[in-house]
Amino acid sequence: MSIYKRAQQWTTFTRVWHLFDAKWQNPFESAKIIQKYLAGLHKPIYGPSDTGDHVVVINSKEIALPGDEWQKRVYFHHTGFAGGASWTFAWELHEKDPTLVLKKAIYNSMKGNLYRHTKMERLHIYPDANVPQEILENVTNQIRRPRLIPKRLDEYSEEEVEKFPKLIDYPEDYVIQKIK
Amino acid sequence: MMRIQWFTKNVLSNLRGALKAQERGIMTSSVHQLKEIKETKEGKILVVEGVNVSSPREPYLIKVPQGDDKPCPVCSLGLEVKHTDVLILSQFVRPDGCMLPQRITGLCIAQQRRIGTLVTMAQKAGLMPNLAPDFSKKDPKKRYKWKKCNTYFDEKTISVARPKYLRKRK
Repeated sequence: MSIYKRAQQWTTFTRVWHLFDAKWQNPFESAKIIQKYLAGLHKPIYGPSDTGDHVVVINSKEIALPGDEWQKRVYFHHTGFAGGASWTFAWELHEKDPTLVLKKAIYNSMKGNLYRHTKMERLHIYPDANVPQEILENVTNQIRRPRLIPKRLDEYSEEEVEKFPKLIDYPEDYVIQKIK
Repeated sequence: MMRIQWFTKNVLSNLRGALKAQERGIMTSSVHQLKEIKETKEGKILVVEGVNVSSPREPYLIKVPQGDDKPCPVCSLGLEVKHTDVLILSQFVRPDGCMLPQRITGLCIAQQRRIGTLVTMAQKAGLMPNLAPDFSKKDPKKRYKWKKCNTYFDEKTISVARPKYLRKRK
């Protein structure tokens, strides 16, 4: 093989490390995207032989669920012993381990075959942006976020809020109360 | 006697009215006057006065077409407001976080209800933490149990009668 061909071979078949920021993302929407990268389905050279990549997920404690799902969604667990069934709410699980909601979402989005555990070993989830240096050094690509992050009112400057076009004006003799 | 009575009734009373008009001091330009309560403490005396203030919104106000049917500002501009459009929603909210009533907002009933629901969604998502009562926790992360978790909403779940201009013509 020539030098050029050897380099091409290496670059095609290396295992790539991707970064995904889970801030304000739905874990189930992001699971669909992340499991494709873990399987290698984003590559044209995908095949039954191992073509999966690593994915590093940060800010998993900032994931967002729609509506009242935090109160309604429950996770079932059975210890195997009699009377060992338990139902845990999503917010309770998130409080105890902020990585588990996303991890379970990705695990359950995969097919239940023997590749699953290998793919999950290549997934690295961190609750915030503190990632070990040796893992960050490997990361070369960032996966695009599906949802936009909403901007809070106190994140806008006072000038921006004041100069934004106004739809209504106060009526005559209205008593203005200042925001404290 | 009859002539004096006729004089006082028709001539003098009209003259009095004319004099009052001169004393009145007519305003030719219409100034939008709002009131602000100012409290100043001078030693032991607390002075609470209502001061006339011009509206801070007036220079940035969008001119909505005025007509007999008085279209509501959101419908006439064709805006599709989302719960994340905090800069628009905060215009309809009091400083303590409550919605303004319909007689002040001037919105049609469909939009008043829709924007009321959107404001609820924005408050639950923690996107307007500064528009809250004084005693509340301003940081959404300090809320109780599930309320500290990030939440987003789908605007399609709001079931409000569509405004007239969007209804299909038969």
